[in-house]
Amino acid sequence: MKLTNKTAQAAAGTGFVEVRKFLHAGQQSYPRTLDLEADPAEELRITLQPGSSVGESLRSVLARYGQRGGVGRMCGGTARRLHYHRIEHTGDASRPYDYGPPHVLEGVITFITGAITVGQNQDGKVLLHCHSGFIDGDGALHGGHLLLDTVEVGDDPLIIRLCLFSRGAFVVNSDEETHFSLLHPTPME
Amino acid sequence: MTLHANDTTTRDDHTPPIHVEEGRLGKLVMARLKPNQDLTESVEALCRQHGMKTAIVRGAIGSLIDAHLQYATPNGPREMEINGPGVEILNVFGEIGFSDGQGNPHPLQGVVADTDGKIFAGRFVRGANLSFITIEITLQEWVAVKQQEAVPA
Repeated sequence: MKLTNKTAQAAAGTGFVEVRKFLHAGQQSYPRTLDLEADPAEELRITLQPGSSVGESLRSVLARYGQRGGVGRMCGGTARRLHYHRIEHTGDASRPYDYGPPHVLEGVITFITGAITVGQNQDGKVLLHCHSGFIDGDGALHGGHLLLDTVEVGDDPLIIRLCLFSRGAFVVNSDEETHFSLLHPTPME
Repeated sequence: MTLHANDTTTRDDHTPPIHVEEGRLGKLVMARLKPNQDLTESVEALCRQHGMKTAIVRGAIGSLIDAHLQYATPNGPREMEINGPGVEILNVFGEIGFSDGQGNPHPLQGVVADTDGKIFAGRFVRGANLSFITIEITLQEWVAVKQQEAVPA
């Protein structure tokens, strides 16, 4: 990490800033932003009790609302166990960066931030995409791509707030530019 | 509008008023940013495209090539450069507003993790946080139903 003091001009957003771009191996497509209007449907506050499996519990809640897109945030709680991933260099020219092996934490883990996208695959099966930050029992901070199916709620209940949509959802499609399967805004009946 | 009626409590006349705006949340805009798109500029473009004068970030997940975060110090703003590629966005907060005619240069703030899993937080520097693989983002319109008024502190 680099730390710099910026001039007033740069701070106002008018100065030059060094910014790197990255050219992926696949074909670029346009437009560069895919977007869709949706209607708000349900606002949910979900409390998961100690010992619960987060992924399984969220899927059982979401099953009550049909095929919906959604977003949410973790509002606090602890875990006993979780797996998370960080992006690593692969050495594969067609996909040079990807998630590495899982980092496993066990014991007492405190969530400090977390965001969730509620998506689905082409068959309508719920996919939960979560990035989160947390503190392990020794006080070390960690953050990355959290696999919610590996998270067991700790002694403090886990509070999650979700905003579900109608008319649109995040659906997985292959992306020819990055060679990843990614969530895309998709119109829904 | 400054309200003084019913203000029977003793207060310092130099206390700045509190500005309050009543409103409701409106339509949602869900989006995916492809590689090399700036987070702040893309969010602002989405707001303009969908006719939203003010919107809040309801959720954002994705990765950045590098993150440039800023925070205020007594000696002026200080910027952190967190190198990737593959800096993970853990959360984004903030609101985009154009109604007062003055744009906020860095309206979004949040938390990121580098490729070692270390966590950093700050304001996202405009034009300097480019999407690496994807960013999923959802915005929601804020519709003011009563103009902002200043009430006594």
